[in-house]
Amino acid sequence: MHSSVTSLAAILGLGAVLLALPHALSFSQQEILVFLTINVLVVASYRLLTLTGEWSLGHVVIMGVGAYASALLSKRLGVYVPVSMLLGAVTAAMVALALSFPLFRMKGFYFLIGSFAAGEIIRLLWKRFRDPFGGPKGIKKIDPMPDFDIGIYAFDFFEPVSYYYLALAVVGVSLWIMWRIERSPVGLTFHAVHWQDRLAEASGVNVRAYRTLAFVLASGFAGLSGALLAHYIGTINPNSFDVEQMVFVLTWTIVGGTATFYGPILGCVVLTILNEIVLREAGFEQMRPLIYGLILILSVLFMPKGLESLVRGALSWQNARKKKVGETQATE
Amino acid sequence: MAPPVLEIDSLTMRFGGLTAIDRLSFKVERGAIHGLIGPNGAGKTTTFNVVSGFYEPTGGAVRLRGETISGLRMYEVARRGVVRTFQHSTLFAELSVLENALVGTHMSFPPNIFAAMAGVDKANRRAARARAEEALDFFGLSGLADELAGELPHGHQRALGMAVALAARPDVVLLDEPFTGMNPEETGRMMELMVKLRNTGVTILLVEHDMHAIMGLCDRITCMSFGRLLAEGNPQEIRHHPDVIEAYLGGARHVA
Amino acid sequence: MVELLAQTGLNALYAASYTALVAVGLVLIFGVMGVINFAHGELFMLGAYAIVAVYADWNLPYLVAVAVGMTFVGIVGLGMERAFFRPLRDNPLGGLVASIGFLMILQALVSMGFGVRMEHVPPVTQDVIVISEKVRLPVFRLAVILAAVVLLASLWAFLKRTRFGWALRASAQDPEAAALQGISINQTARIAMFIGAALAGVAGALTAPLISVNPHMGHSVIVTAFIVIIVGGIGSLEGAVIVAVAYAFVHTFVTTFFDGVIADIVGLLLLLVVLIVKPTGLFGSTDRA
Ligand SMILES: Nc1ncnc2c1ncn2[C@@H]1O[C@H](COP(=O)(O)OP(=O)(O)OP(=O)(O)O)[C@@H](O)[C@H]1O
Ligand SMILES: [Mg+2]
Repeated sequence: MHSSVTSLAAILGLGAVLLALPHALSFSQQEILVFLTINVLVVASYRLLTLTGEWSLGHVVIMGVGAYASALLSKRLGVYVPVSMLLGAVTAAMVALALSFPLFRMKGFYFLIGSFAAGEIIRLLWKRFRDPFGGPKGIKKIDPMPDFDIGIYAFDFFEPVSYYYLALAVVGVSLWIMWRIERSPVGLTFHAVHWQDRLAEASGVNVRAYRTLAFVLASGFAGLSGALLAHYIGTINPNSFDVEQMVFVLTWTIVGGTATFYGPILGCVVLTILNEIVLREAGFEQMRPLIYGLILILSVLFMPKGLESLVRGALSWQNARKKKVGETQATE
Repeated sequence: MAPPVLEIDSLTMRFGGLTAIDRLSFKVERGAIHGLIGPNGAGKTTTFNVVSGFYEPTGGAVRLRGETISGLRMYEVARRGVVRTFQHSTLFAELSVLENALVGTHMSFPPNIFAAMAGVDKANRRAARARAEEALDFFGLSGLADELAGELPHGHQRALGMAVALAARPDVVLLDEPFTGMNPEETGRMMELMVKLRNTGVTILLVEHDMHAIMGLCDRITCMSFGRLLAEGNPQEIRHHPDVIEAYLGGARHVA
Repeated sequence: MVELLAQTGLNALYAASYTALVAVGLVLIFGVMGVINFAHGELFMLGAYAIVAVYADWNLPYLVAVAVGMTFVGIVGLGMERAFFRPLRDNPLGGLVASIGFLMILQALVSMGFGVRMEHVPPVTQDVIVISEKVRLPVFRLAVILAAVVLLASLWAFLKRTRFGWALRASAQDPEAAALQGISINQTARIAMFIGAALAGVAGALTAPLISVNPHMGHSVIVTAFIVIIVGGIGSLEGAVIVAVAYAFVHTFVTTFFDGVIADIVGLLLLLVVLIVKPTGLFGSTDRA
């Protein structure tokens, strides 16, 4: 009872902070905040994929599938943008489902390379086929999100703050769904498939179906994040979703750690703040990839369990202290 | 007499040039504790691997209540009621003891992602949990439910492996050396549990090197050597079978 | 038509030569250390920049520049082995991720040192052997092909004829057994990493005068090398060479008769098909990784 009250208070507090946050930032920082919010969805969905133990190098391309699909649907067919975004997510999930047939014949390292190859093929198709993908220049003038008014707040999507609120809502709901899935028996089965696929299969789990399920779900959320991105920046091209972006996602995820739900989000937030606020404003623009690379290497070497391990360490230390305090009080 | 629940029919498994199982045939009666013994490398684990669907046999067939199950995937075999444990403790080491057992209930309470998202699978989850706790309780692991499986002592890990299998309520369980790493006392307790289990109607196919346990438990024993059937009979017959004695002593002499 | 075919064939042979050098280095590193070096394309890029610096900027002889590039990149490889591949020996995914981090560092360092624009290296020689009116083989390309053949032959001799080579092959086959026989894992890892990196470096140095050099040029090279080593069988040096040649022919011909992007797609599809049908590759037998 007590703990649920505290966690409710914590969530409300966090919500209030997130709502107030953009008003404390400069315009360019507000724009970064929108990207950060979208990227949180990308890393969280990436972790969903890694839950069954497979690491993909095609996740950002799948995100791009959502972006291209939503952009084309709204631009070519005049689909209402919020609907096209959802359809973008569905398209990404469908493409992932199709890819799962060849890819899940592979495991581990082969899956990694296979997903990389599949992603590159999709990117090359975007590049090669000017119609409808726009070739190397991509798609420009993507329809923006239509403005609307919900009474207490008028959304004007040329303002980053408005788009931030939209993204926050979409990402918040998505995270909540992913969280529910992970905490459910489905999530437990994902973990089982990851840690010991033989025992899982001997317990009657269709391992391949569960791997596919995680891949398709994760890809759907990645596609949604891509659609959010496309209608914000207005221009996408094959290079928006290249290996370098994938490296960023990988870095956030690994630096954060994949053992917990919040690990990759933590990695994304901390590194983005470091990247955008500290490095960019301190004038180290050119050195950013260098520092990113260093952080990646150092964290694999010295923090293999990620930032979350520090948080968990701190928490258990605090708990131990509380316990100790409790014990001494009890003896008194 | 009732038909055999499991029938191994002229089963052959080759790995490259090595024939690990060579036209092996035997039948397991419903409700029996059936022992499968043989010297190291005889092909016992390989037999389990074929029966459980981990390998597709090179030749022959495995039939469950008359239906051919060889060639099915491992989860399809499990869904027909045949569940196995592994020779080398194979657990979800990073999950808790209770979560391990919960995975065992997968077939009885299949997860549904939409129900989970909508939060309408509470009854299902409760029932799965009750089943898992029951399985842990049966093996005396209730007190350890929140421990990480990987951190349990070896004997408890073996017991947990069986609890995961039993949480599935199988018709037939294949146990691969379940008593290794247990002291005589624990082994004795496990033997009682095996009998209790059999009395609930579960058929047990047991691979074990502990002859005392095998002789004490089994209704019938199949002995194999170099992938072939060597002898079959009740414990008395096997104990005094010259070929069995030869196979074991021959191995021993060889070592000495 | 015959002329076009002959000309394309010669171009393919040239592409095969540097692809084989890169791929063989990658295979060697994987074989001995069990890790995929994602930064291998950037080692190729470093080799090319060695030419930009030593040959184009400092005006030293081309062969000196090649030797400097090869040695320098080999030493970078030693540094990689010591800095992260060795501590991450039991963690192949970690090693791969660390090499991705290193790739970004190398790209950033080169961009900072040389700028991100394309560098054009002055030609070493403009001589052309005229075989017929339409088939002309530039001498430099011929030299690159010959150099690759010589290098690969010496590598082969090194592996088959020397004690180090024997140790390398032993630890590629079974690291634990090799360790039991007193072969130092660190030692063989160092040798493999030096040779593997140096081969990527020399490939970059040899091709630099013929392509535009830029900090991101490693990407297409590593994609090609991946295709080659996986189709060839990830532990097989012979497979890498054979597939490098075959792939270069397919790619060059498809590029000539259709276009480059289609050629890339064909290559990647080939990779996927092999991964699906025979994940251990056409010439691979080991089930490592
Ligand atoms: N996947 C495989 N590939 C090649 N050979 C195998 C494979 N699995 C088992 N074998 C071989 O088959 C033979 C039988 O092995 P198996 O593990 O079935 O013996 P076992 O009777 O269980 O022995 P133990 O009592 O030591 O557990 C052995 O020679 C083993 O090396
Ligand atoms: Mg065995």
